[in-house]
Amino acid sequence: MELSIRDISKRYNKEKYGLKDNSLTIESGILGLLGPNGAGKSTLMKIIATISLPTSGTIELDGHNILQDPNYIRKILGYLPQDFGVYANLNAYEFLEYIAAMKGVGGLNLKKRIEALLEGVNLIESAKSPIGTYSGGMKQRIGIAQALLNDPKVLIFDEPTVGLDPEERMRFRNLISDLAQNCIIILSSHIVSDIETIADEVAIMQSGMLVTKGTQAKVVSLVEGKVFEIFIENAELSDFKTKNLVVNTSRQKDNVWVRYISNNPANGSKAASASLEDAYLYLTQNKI
Amino acid sequence: MKAFYKIIISDYKQRTRSYAFLVTLAVSLYAAYSFVPPPAANYTTVRIGNYLGIQNAAWIGCVTAMMTSIFLSLIGPFLINSSIKKDTDTGVGMIIATTSISNFSYLLAKAWSNFLVLLSITGCVFLMSIILFFIRSDGYSFDLIQFILPYLMISLPTMFFIAALAVVAEVFLYRHTMVMNICFFILFCILVSWQTNAQAPLDLFGVKPATTTMHDIVSHRYHDTKDDVTMGFIFSRKKEFNYFLFEGVHWTLTDILSRVLWICFGFFLILFSSKFFHRFDIKQKFKAKKKIKLSEIIPPAKILQDIKLSALPPITSAFGIMPFIKTELIMLYRKGPRWLWLINLGGMISLVFAPLTTAHQMILPILWFLQVGRWSDLATKEKTNRIHYFTYASYKPLTRLLPAQITAGIILALVLASPLMVRYLFKMSFLPIFSIIMGAVFIVLFAVALGIISGGKKLFEILFFLFTYLNIERVPIADYFGGMNHNANYLAFVTMLAAFLVFLSFILRRIEIRHL
Repeated sequence: MELSIRDISKRYNKEKYGLKDNSLTIESGILGLLGPNGAGKSTLMKIIATISLPTSGTIELDGHNILQDPNYIRKILGYLPQDFGVYANLNAYEFLEYIAAMKGVGGLNLKKRIEALLEGVNLIESAKSPIGTYSGGMKQRIGIAQALLNDPKVLIFDEPTVGLDPEERMRFRNLISDLAQNCIIILSSHIVSDIETIADEVAIMQSGMLVTKGTQAKVVSLVEGKVFEIFIENAELSDFKTKNLVVNTSRQKDNVWVRYISNNPANGSKAASASLEDAYLYLTQNKI
Repeated sequence: MKAFYKIIISDYKQRTRSYAFLVTLAVSLYAAYSFVPPPAANYTTVRIGNYLGIQNAAWIGCVTAMMTSIFLSLIGPFLINSSIKKDTDTGVGMIIATTSISNFSYLLAKAWSNFLVLLSITGCVFLMSIILFFIRSDGYSFDLIQFILPYLMISLPTMFFIAALAVVAEVFLYRHTMVMNICFFILFCILVSWQTNAQAPLDLFGVKPATTTMHDIVSHRYHDTKDDVTMGFIFSRKKEFNYFLFEGVHWTLTDILSRVLWICFGFFLILFSSKFFHRFDIKQKFKAKKKIKLSEIIPPAKILQDIKLSALPPITSAFGIMPFIKTELIMLYRKGPRWLWLINLGGMISLVFAPLTTAHQMILPILWFLQVGRWSDLATKEKTNRIHYFTYASYKPLTRLLPAQITAGIILALVLASPLMVRYLFKMSFLPIFSIIMGAVFIVLFAVALGIISGGKKLFEILFFLFTYLNIERVPIADYFGGMNHNANYLAFVTMLAAFLVFLSFILRRIEIRHL
């Protein structure tokens, strides 16, 4: 499968762009989308999910233009939006039946499939209670279950780990890895470690534009040799921050340990191995 | 004090920047224009038997102020009845609850903001009445005081009380918007019926001093004391009226005090309700009151299991709309308190036993009006519940989901009207049956179209309320379900309107689906 995005722009008014001339090709596997708030990640995902039209550009799935024929992708799409709701008066089972009808899924196996998914997301015991009584994490699980109802071939997860505890996040990552074998999965997250552990490729966006896209190794290589660590006095920290891109700090007894990115390291600095988080901050902070 | 003022203004701005407000304003201005009918019109708004006032400043000012007081008491509550709910839904309420603002100050600020919304509409109607004077006065001199005084004495105290009452209703009925709307309707009908009764105990609308003055003039000058003052849109073919000169109301201290008393009563109700205000601690109060059944206790969430997509039961394609209709009907059924279904059942039974005309003209529109909360968000609940990300990204949402929603709404309307249709069937009267079917189709499509246009349910609620009241008052133009012996041409007119609403709904939803 191949999803080809060509020169996609979303323009709100004369000056304001949500997306600007983005092109990328996504193949089976997991693409992690990283970017600060307002970078255009959700806008891009909505356009791929066919619920928002771009101002210009084309998107093709295996050669089919999905902007002209959105139902081509909708049949095989699983979409978990960032900020979705539920019908509070329906229970989990009824809600999934409703979503199944939307996705055009039915037949004798539907009930079994819903039960299997509810078991998978561990909601089978509360499946008969109105969703209005669920906690945020439980609603998020319903969201995950609905995305998998129709045997999707394209999965779009916008901030899927919000509301999940650390162990659930790990389980979710395993689930995604399992699905990725013959699906296209696009996953956005603010948590770099979520992307770092599972994404085959990473795309970093900023101000509506794609800054870079490639394998993790390729993206990390952009900051290789620029990451350093140093111990400095507490009083020097704020001045140090103005001159360097500080990635992390840890206060010690008398001084502070600083991890930073720079083209001209300070005296006494030690080179450190780069990570995806370093690359992300390097590419989005525009500080050096 | 500054914070108090800020709350009022912010709330006011938030609410006046809505379609519902603009449409209510437009409807109000149109209504204001009709408050002073031209001499050739086939209706009157205020008259004493066979007498009408000469259209001078005093008459136009007083009549428009009286009608505004009644009209805005009818539709105003629907416009302003969700100011606290908005804070609850958006989560702003949780922030407010942590601030030092007292319950009374918060509720009073909400009441003031409600009042400002109604005042804005009243202000526009006031200007319209002055314009009307210059159109209709036929040479009588302009006197601004004759406009200001009636609005100040009649409309404004009513508006304040309605603003306060809307807040109080939200405090006590915060979980039951549908019940709140029905209570407003019943209250309004009672208050209006009291206007025609001189012995009635309460005069919320503040029209008694004016109607008494008018009645006195007619009885003293023309010695005609038989008839009371009648108010509202009264249609008749008769156009020969006698005219009398009305020079305004002499407001006595008692009149002024009675109006001030309504304002004080409004303050008192807010103070009283502030003792019971939930302060956005809604869930806890609910749990504390309700005896929780074992089956309702949500077990603590366990961690996700491993899901193997390939191991899930295989799926079959099914692109029909029946599952949608089923779920939409379930949601329509579960909306609102269950006991309202007993009232629906009572309404259906009375459709069987009441005289046919009463059943068709009175009971059916009221029975349908009771479903206002069910129909008003028929096509907007995806957005308000934030399900639209799923629905709009689903397979053919325009040709599957929207028709299912419309169908479910129509099924509900027809089930409720079924006893009446069966009665007509036994009488072999087919035109009323078609009229009822088209009425059901029309009102559901009206709800869907207005929901999609405005993005909310308020606009439909306001107009449906107005339609229902006008039907009870037997205003022919509002008769969408053929209650007043129309011919086939009228049915064709309603059908065309329904066809236009379908077209509009589908076009707008099509745009909406692709432009989130």
